[in-house]
Amino acid sequence: MQESGERAMIELRDLRLTYQSGAGAVEVLRGIDLSIGRAETVSLVGPSGSGKTSMLMVIAGLERATGGSVLVGGADLGALDEDALAAFRRDSVGIVFQDFHLIPTMTALENVAVPLEFAGRRDAFERAAAVLEQVGLGHRLDHYPGQLSGGEQQRVALARAFGPGPKLLLADEPTGNLDGETGARVVEQLFALQRAHGTTLLLITHDPHLALRCRRVVRIGDGVIVEDAPADEAAALPELPAQAAVGTPSGAAAAARP
Amino acid sequence: MTDTALQSAVVPGRRGGGSTLALAWRLARRELRGGLGGFRVFLLCLLLGVAAIAAVGSLSQAMLGGLADNGRALLGGDVELRVIHRPATPEQLAWLEENSSRLSRAADMRAMARAEVSGGGRRLVELKAVDGAYPLHGILSTETSGEDPLPLAAEEGVWGALVDPALLSRLDIAVGDSLRIGSLSYEVRGTVSREPDRAAQAFTLGPRVLVHYDSLAETGLEQPGSLIYYQYRLDLPEGESTADWRRRVDRAFPDAGWRVRDINRAAPGVDRFIVQVSLFMTLVGLTALLVGGVGIANAVHAFLDGKRNTIATLKCLGAPSRLIFATYLGQVLALALLGILGGVALGSLAPAVAGPLLAERLNFELSGGLQPSALLLAAVFGLLTTLVFTLWPLARAQGIPAGSLFREVVQRSASRPPAWALLALGVSGLLLALTAVYGTDGGDVAVGFVVGAVAALLVFRLAAAGIAWAARRLPRPRRPDLRLAVANLYRPGASTGSVVTSLGLGLTVLVTIALIEGNLRHQVVAQLPEEAPGFYFIDIQPDQVERFDALVAAHPGVEAMERVPMLRGRIMRVNGLRPDEMNVAPDVAWVFRGDRGVTWSAEPPAGSRITAGEWWPPDYSGPPLVSLEAGIAERIGIGPGDRITVNLLGRDLEAEIANLRPVDWSELSINFVMVFSPGLVQQAPQSHIATVTLDAAQEEALEAAVADAFPNVSAVRVKEALESLAQMLRAIATAVTLTASVTVAAGLLVLAGAVAAGQRRRVYDAVVLKVLGARRRDVLRSFLLEFGLMGLIAALLAVGFGTAAAWAVLTTVMRVESFTFLVAPVFLTAAAAVAVTLAFGFAGTWRALAQKAAPLLRND
Repeated sequence: MQESGERAMIELRDLRLTYQSGAGAVEVLRGIDLSIGRAETVSLVGPSGSGKTSMLMVIAGLERATGGSVLVGGADLGALDEDALAAFRRDSVGIVFQDFHLIPTMTALENVAVPLEFAGRRDAFERAAAVLEQVGLGHRLDHYPGQLSGGEQQRVALARAFGPGPKLLLADEPTGNLDGETGARVVEQLFALQRAHGTTLLLITHDPHLALRCRRVVRIGDGVIVEDAPADEAAALPELPAQAAVGTPSGAAAAARP
Repeated sequence: MTDTALQSAVVPGRRGGGSTLALAWRLARRELRGGLGGFRVFLLCLLLGVAAIAAVGSLSQAMLGGLADNGRALLGGDVELRVIHRPATPEQLAWLEENSSRLSRAADMRAMARAEVSGGGRRLVELKAVDGAYPLHGILSTETSGEDPLPLAAEEGVWGALVDPALLSRLDIAVGDSLRIGSLSYEVRGTVSREPDRAAQAFTLGPRVLVHYDSLAETGLEQPGSLIYYQYRLDLPEGESTADWRRRVDRAFPDAGWRVRDINRAAPGVDRFIVQVSLFMTLVGLTALLVGGVGIANAVHAFLDGKRNTIATLKCLGAPSRLIFATYLGQVLALALLGILGGVALGSLAPAVAGPLLAERLNFELSGGLQPSALLLAAVFGLLTTLVFTLWPLARAQGIPAGSLFREVVQRSASRPPAWALLALGVSGLLLALTAVYGTDGGDVAVGFVVGAVAALLVFRLAAAGIAWAARRLPRPRRPDLRLAVANLYRPGASTGSVVTSLGLGLTVLVTIALIEGNLRHQVVAQLPEEAPGFYFIDIQPDQVERFDALVAAHPGVEAMERVPMLRGRIMRVNGLRPDEMNVAPDVAWVFRGDRGVTWSAEPPAGSRITAGEWWPPDYSGPPLVSLEAGIAERIGIGPGDRITVNLLGRDLEAEIANLRPVDWSELSINFVMVFSPGLVQQAPQSHIATVTLDAAQEEALEAAVADAFPNVSAVRVKEALESLAQMLRAIATAVTLTASVTVAAGLLVLAGAVAAGQRRRVYDAVVLKVLGARRRDVLRSFLLEFGLMGLIAALLAVGFGTAAAWAVLTTVMRVESFTFLVAPVFLTAAAAVAVTLAFGFAGTWRALAQKAAPLLRND
């Protein structure tokens, strides 16, 4: 199912990404064609090392494609310089990480206000407080990340991502570091905010339940799209690794330790 | 929202630089909440270097200020005129009296004083004769029994004397006893502790005796050609400027040959000394700052490494690189400001702390209050050093990729710093160099320092890289502890480079100073007395020469005697040009500065070698010829055939240079820059100077015999003079070493910082090694080997570079003929360095060994 180029939020045409490493060139993305419409919710699934994160980085303007074109909101990212890309992220893209990545020296309120300050908004702190209120952290404004639980930290990160009202939200395993119950609450809030803002959502996950919350599932394998289907039709979901389900920390290094 | 609307949002909004800076500062302030933990070494390095420079600058400014404030007292009047050998003529004196509001006459010389008590001793003294008007300015501190602070006038035919308290104990006499000087008996009427017109006489040959000017004529010491300086201090007539007055005196007596000084340069020797010493010390302080700069760079590097995530997060949130750069530059500068202010505050205390001690030595009060220009200079040095050492890591940090936040992504190193950052780094470096040269007024010395410092930093960096390179290629040692130690020298992120650079540079300074001081002292104290004569006898009158020769020759134990006539004169012109009209190299300026000893001879002085021109025939009686010292002639750029005008006893004498001959001054035999042909010079009033080499046991007897026979002849004991010189050298060396140790302290700070930075790695290594079955002492030995190797390498490099630097300074700047490598101080310095490095390493390792293995292995 493909959106038309006119109305698409994300338009990837023959996207290629090659890293030069000591051992030679590594082809990470090998010709991706993908169109995602406005306010659409899409989950990106696939085994580790398949190129999901690299694709997300290219769409966020954090990595430059080595071939093909990337249009986000109609803007050709290949034509923007570094500062323009920074401004593009500031104004149009929100990102949520598995590891939260809050700035430890700033309070919850300041963390949420930062992108608004970058945008030069005079009401940065009022707006930040309002969004934190929305995610149920109105009473935690002056707490530092170290004083918050994992779930609270991820809710602050959600508030930070949605604060500037981005047209596109990118999420990389947003529940990967949370226990099942906490993860479920964060997911609820993520989708509630997405609906409220009419944001396009592209999220990477290993969690089949989370993947199914999206309207559409795109599966990547070895740098190419191997499946692109509405969630209710997605064939491969049962094959998702069982231990990646919400409630089990996926990919956590701790699991590998004695 | 339409696509165009989104597109317009995507187009970078140009915001004013002001708002970027304001935002950067807001972010920086939040970041600074993280505390100063990682910045302790940064702050201390900066504090130390800035404090050293601020202290040296403040002290020197306070001393120069004090010199200016006390100029009139130090000079003795608005103007001082000084002539040697003979007083001003009655005509000149009348003119001076007429053209001054007040006039004071004084005379300075060396003479023998003899206690007129049974078994009384003799002592060479610095005799000063003053008139009733003395001192025109300032306060003379004396201790006398009566009301009169200066009871020198004759009472019932007996003149009075005030003496240095040291002389009383030296001669075992008391106030009230008599003292014979020349052929006159003085009554000691008290002691003198401070004269206002005596600035910092570091080098004196004897204690002070103060007598009345009018008594001098009765001592029999005022012989033609005697080494007596006559001084005329005066206050200018009401309303006349110094410059006008000096023009008038020059017009009235163009050939008087006197040295005229005014309060603008009341003590040129002292202010030159202060300026030179403070330049040297400022450069040493700057070295400390540069050594600390390595620590500053390390600290900022480690700090930014810890901020990788924050920086990447800010970038993901849309922060442009320049905002990142500004944010972290802001933090670094805020902390630098803290360190700089601390250093400036600390340094500004120096005049208050060291002032009283120095005031006593310098004989004038230091000017009080803050020295803003010195403090500003120190702050500028601190700021520029911070920029030079932090711009590189800052520029690299702003290139940290935002994508590093995503899991699964292979971490790739930050890109090369952009061109503008390199440009900013270059400009800061250039400004630092320019400040070092122009801010210190250091001229060639400062330029040499800048070149040397840059070269040393580069060479040490290269050497450190070379060590890592060599360690990597070394055959693997069989012993596991040695293998680990060698591997740690080149492991990625090893502190070898910074420790070797900073500690090595600090040690280099110490080795250099130890060698320079050691060589100078060696020359003065250790090397000379073997061959040096026991005595100089001065002021022997021509009619005493024969009797003197006979007395000395007949004295037991005398091995050799050399005697020559001597006058003193000032070089007035060279080829008709006054010195101020010539382009004189700074290192020969001394030749023109004061009176030079002059002699005449029919034969070339014993052992001399003529390098250009020819010596005059023994029976030469034509127009005056002169033989000039070859080195000086070369520096001035003159030779045989050129003409030189010398003022002897108020008369200008022009002579043609007949030949050049090199002189080795270190031999301490009698020698002169200028030797004239017999004839005109022979006619001038003069005295003779003699050196006598003799059995040390006979020194006292000879001194007594000469003093009894010739009361006007003064005996200077060479050993005492050299000891006095050596003492002065030691005092200077102590001060310099103290300053230099600041550079080593900075090096140690960098070492401490490096040990702390490597602590995580060391703990991990220790735990893994213990898990693998290594005993504590195996682990300890391995780490100590690593530190020992590092310290040893730094020490060896420092010995090499320090020796080269000392050799360069001694042979090119100080023109010392022979350079001796002094094993003891150099290897003591090196051994101490290795020991200290080991101690630091041991402290770090001990803490590492105390770690329990289990929690580390579980969490890491």
